[in-house]
Amino acid sequence: MTTLTRQDLNFGQVVADILCEFLEVAIHLILYVREVYPSGIFQKRKKYSVPVQMSCHPELNQYIQDTLHCVKPLIEKNDAEKVVVVIMDKEHHPVERFVFEISQPTLLSISSDTLLSHVEQLLRAFILKISVCDAVLNSNPPGCSFTVLVHTRDAATRNMEKVQVIKDFPWIVADEQEVHMQEPRLIPLKTMTSDIVKMQLYVEERAHKT
Amino acid sequence: MDELYLDNIDEFVNDHDKIVTYKWLSLTLGVHVNTAKQMLYHYLDHKRKESSAQLHATYLVSGKFEDNGQTVRHTINRQDVFRHMFDFRYFNFMLLMFLLLMLLQGHKVSVVKEDQLEDFKSKMSLVVSVHVYSVQKALLKDSGPLYSVDYDAVKDNLKNCTKYSAIRCAGAVPMSSLELQQARQIHQVPAPEPEHKKPAMNGEANASKPSTKPQKGIMGMFANKAAPKNQDNVKDIKTEQKADAPVAEAPKSKPAAKANPMMNFFGTQTASECCQQSEQSQYRRACHKSKRVVDSDSEEEKMEKKKRRRIKKPEPDSSDEDVIPDSPQQMKTREPSPSPEKEVEPVSHSPQGNSQKTRKRRRVLKARTFVDDEGCIVTEKCYESESYSETEDDVQATKQASKDPVPAKRPASHKPDEKKSQKKTSANANKGSKQASIMGFFQKK
Repeated sequence: MTTLTRQDLNFGQVVADILCEFLEVAIHLILYVREVYPSGIFQKRKKYSVPVQMSCHPELNQYIQDTLHCVKPLIEKNDAEKVVVVIMDKEHHPVERFVFEISQPTLLSISSDTLLSHVEQLLRAFILKISVCDAVLNSNPPGCSFTVLVHTRDAATRNMEKVQVIKDFPWIVADEQEVHMQEPRLIPLKTMTSDIVKMQLYVEERAHKT
Repeated sequence: MDELYLDNIDEFVNDHDKIVTYKWLSLTLGVHVNTAKQMLYHYLDHKRKESSAQLHATYLVSGKFEDNGQTVRHTINRQDVFRHMFDFRYFNFMLLMFLLLMLLQGHKVSVVKEDQLEDFKSKMSLVVSVHVYSVQKALLKDSGPLYSVDYDAVKDNLKNCTKYSAIRCAGAVPMSSLELQQARQIHQVPAPEPEHKKPAMNGEANASKPSTKPQKGIMGMFANKAAPKNQDNVKDIKTEQKADAPVAEAPKSKPAAKANPMMNFFGTQTASECCQQSEQSQYRRACHKSKRVVDSDSEEEKMEKKKRRRIKKPEPDSSDEDVIPDSPQQMKTREPSPSPEKEVEPVSHSPQGNSQKTRKRRRVLKARTFVDDEGCIVTEKCYESESYSETEDDVQATKQASKDPVPAKRPASHKPDEKKSQKKTSANANKGSKQASIMGFFQKK
């Protein structure tokens, strides 16, 4: 067992890579399970040794990748508190919010070998949980769209506004109406605790969706 | 039987929102798989009677499939059957066909959703087994999560995952540690090979799947964008290829993969071996082609340079007359600029044999001089095609020696070279028709 600080081994980068990969898979899966896009555009792929659904639409994929590319630096510095996938109806009122709460311990104690396989197992459990989440959620109205919000600690967003990580892909402060939901119901889905990251997934659902 | 298991399953399904497969249940509760299947069936039955919370179930159905048999029957021509019925030579043939038909009906094992169950069963000619595969609250859109559930359960119980299984083989006994070691030594040698082939194999499977999928509807819209991507995958995963090779590769991988669909799953080495070899041979062919193309291009460039040189060259060289571009069949020696024409002359006159009456194009060894990047004068001898006839003054000598791009440059300046060159010309002239080798250059110092 070794105790490392955040600066060692570029550990923040490793964690950020793992989390961003996971978030990409999770976002695709959420879009598939909640039927935000027709299931015809999805194709079975393999991740964490299990089949997952991933979209084939190039622009959608690019959008998700660019989004996560911008989120990555925030996760590296442990500035990102929550990453939220919001599903909105036609009037742009949120209907569902999938909230990934992320926290990283400042002092990490790592056991060398089984670290990542354990993390993989935990992430696999998350994926499985997302696949069956429509048991506990009501179905969405047709014509939904989605967006990704990031809640950051302190004033990290000021840096993001100054420096465009990806050209022509600006981040803006979210509107009140996108952030707050009327009559939310909280449905916890999954929690994971590991040496490198703690993550919690829950869904906030609007009571009346139509 | 204990009725507690019903509560257990209830807890898993309703409280934890789990997908309860029979395999997972047998490993979790420590019961035989058949018991687990019965448990699930009773639970489902119980819950349906109570008509409480909505439950979904999937079933595993296995049996003989009717449809295949029908299509095969239609391919046999009725006329043929009647024609050959009275011929005893064809009696065996007919018997064989009949047996084949029976076999071709195909044994299928599928996991189906509950609402498709009756439909599926009706399509089968013989249903061998039906049992509950899983019970869950959510309506599953695809079968992925079923696999995930079993994956973790089996992984946690790797050593005893067959403890409760109904599949038995008397000959399957764990090896002793001694036998294990021996087996490992044997497998160490072919180990690198399968690893090398695995990327090709996976590439095959991946490449074939999207290409064999029917590109209908929404997916068809992405087909144009997906196709170059697939080809890219094929390129990346396989060895580096020249541009002309991958287009031939993608259709090649398709028939290789289609030919044996089962091979994609089990991935025998032979299939991937063949494909690898074919790749490499294509790569070599492509290499060859492009090399020739490059060579002929460089030849033409040099031809032009040589022509320009011809105008300049005769001036410093007073003793030179019309520059005769022919040179003897010569390979690797390099000479500085003024000499080549001189030396070329005496040697070229000797083999005059190949004059022909008709005007033809021939490949001729020519010496070309030019100043390269560092200011050194370099002479290169290479073959160029040129037309000639018997009547021409230019005598051409040809040999079957291969092309020679003379690579290295002389770092020394050309002054000492000129001195040396005079010596060399005499040396070479002495040699006459003998083919000068690269070693001759060193000897005559």
